[in-house]
Amino acid sequence: MVRRLFEWVMSPMGWIAVVIVALSVFSLAAFGIYRSQQALKPQPIQFPHNLHVGLGVQCLYCHPGAARGPSSGLPTINKCWGCHQQIAKTQTSDKLKPLRDAMASGANFVWVPVAKVPDFVHFNHRPHIAAGLNCENCHGDMSQVEIAENPQVMNMGWCLSCHKERAGGDEEKFIKLTDCGTCHY
Amino acid sequence: MTTELKIPEYKLAEEESGKWGMVVDTDLCTGCQACVAACAMENNIPYVGEEDAAYGRSMHWIRTERFWEGEYPEVRMTDYQPMLCQQCGHAPCEPVCPAFATVHSQSEKLNLQVYNRCVGTRYCANNCPYQVRSFNWRDYQDPRLRPEITILANQFNPDVTVRRRGVMEKCTFCIQRIHKAQDLAKSEGREVEDGEFTTACAQACPANAITFGRIDHPETLVSQLAHSSRGVHHLEELGTLPRVTYLKGG
Repeated sequence: MVRRLFEWVMSPMGWIAVVIVALSVFSLAAFGIYRSQQALKPQPIQFPHNLHVGLGVQCLYCHPGAARGPSSGLPTINKCWGCHQQIAKTQTSDKLKPLRDAMASGANFVWVPVAKVPDFVHFNHRPHIAAGLNCENCHGDMSQVEIAENPQVMNMGWCLSCHKERAGGDEEKFIKLTDCGTCHY
Repeated sequence: MTTELKIPEYKLAEEESGKWGMVVDTDLCTGCQACVAACAMENNIPYVGEEDAAYGRSMHWIRTERFWEGEYPEVRMTDYQPMLCQQCGHAPCEPVCPAFATVHSQSEKLNLQVYNRCVGTRYCANNCPYQVRSFNWRDYQDPRLRPEITILANQFNPDVTVRRRGVMEKCTFCIQRIHKAQDLAKSEGREVEDGEFTTACAQACPANAITFGRIDHPETLVSQLAHSSRGVHHLEELGTLPRVTYLKGG
């Protein structure tokens, strides 16, 4: 039985079959890796960034940590409710039902972070804002997107290209901004 | 868009002054191990468990060494000697790393350990004359693999990476605190002051035996202590240019 299987595998048809199986396994794995890198879990509420930015809400109103610390922070529903309780549509809109339900039950939104760096990278928002960068330089123009998404892959090459550019010709700045220990510790 | 990049001028290690330094007064040290505990809390250092400890895989970034003089029963203890990474100016661990995971920081003048580059050859630990590096033989910090640490995982320091299996680690001179102090100082438009912050071990020391600060500023407490006549550098003859000075025989 094993011998016959071996002979079939060694025949031209067997070879082709093996190659087809290997290719399909490989492409499935590649597809799986691709999907796991791309797809985000759905947000607890379909928060339209473009609408809020269009109404003139500042980024720092909901993400105030960006100006003063490492993490920008994601708002709790109390922040949402602070404005929304004064808006009549909050009580009628279907899209805002998750907010009403969460407020009634005392639950909170568990947002899905979009702009993430790995655990071994220590990113701090404050110096980036202090250096004169605006939110949209990294996070894209939020007045154009409904659900927040990353405009680019946030990897080290992307960080360093900006760091090198920002250092200009200043040697001390260049050393500081390209030092491993600035982000990895 | 590319900009003209200036390659920093190469300097011999002997010409570099070092930036951050530490002084350990072994006459004050009581061997209480508070520094060891504080370091483990600050830097997310795992406890490896009984079995791995028996294999000599205990993980510490600082340890209290003790030595004996004489034969039993006429034994005399020498001073306790806290031993940690000496942040050598000319570090033996650095040139042996094939992955450039342990590199010398140009800006902070420290020996860095870049966890995401480390592939776990352990050459650096073999070449360290102070034996202060420790290796993650297992995923000690993963609550899925070690359910007994689930509660401990709640007190991880978010400013420090939780290391995974196969990664070498060592004392960083609490670089997360350095960055925090520098960030605060910069946001207030000033320089970091002496004594404004310190490492976890120095903060925890009840005898004030450990002092940390800038050794390139002559007026700081640490550089004045480091230049006292009681100062000793361990294994200085190897030419490692350690940034930790031990005071003894006062």
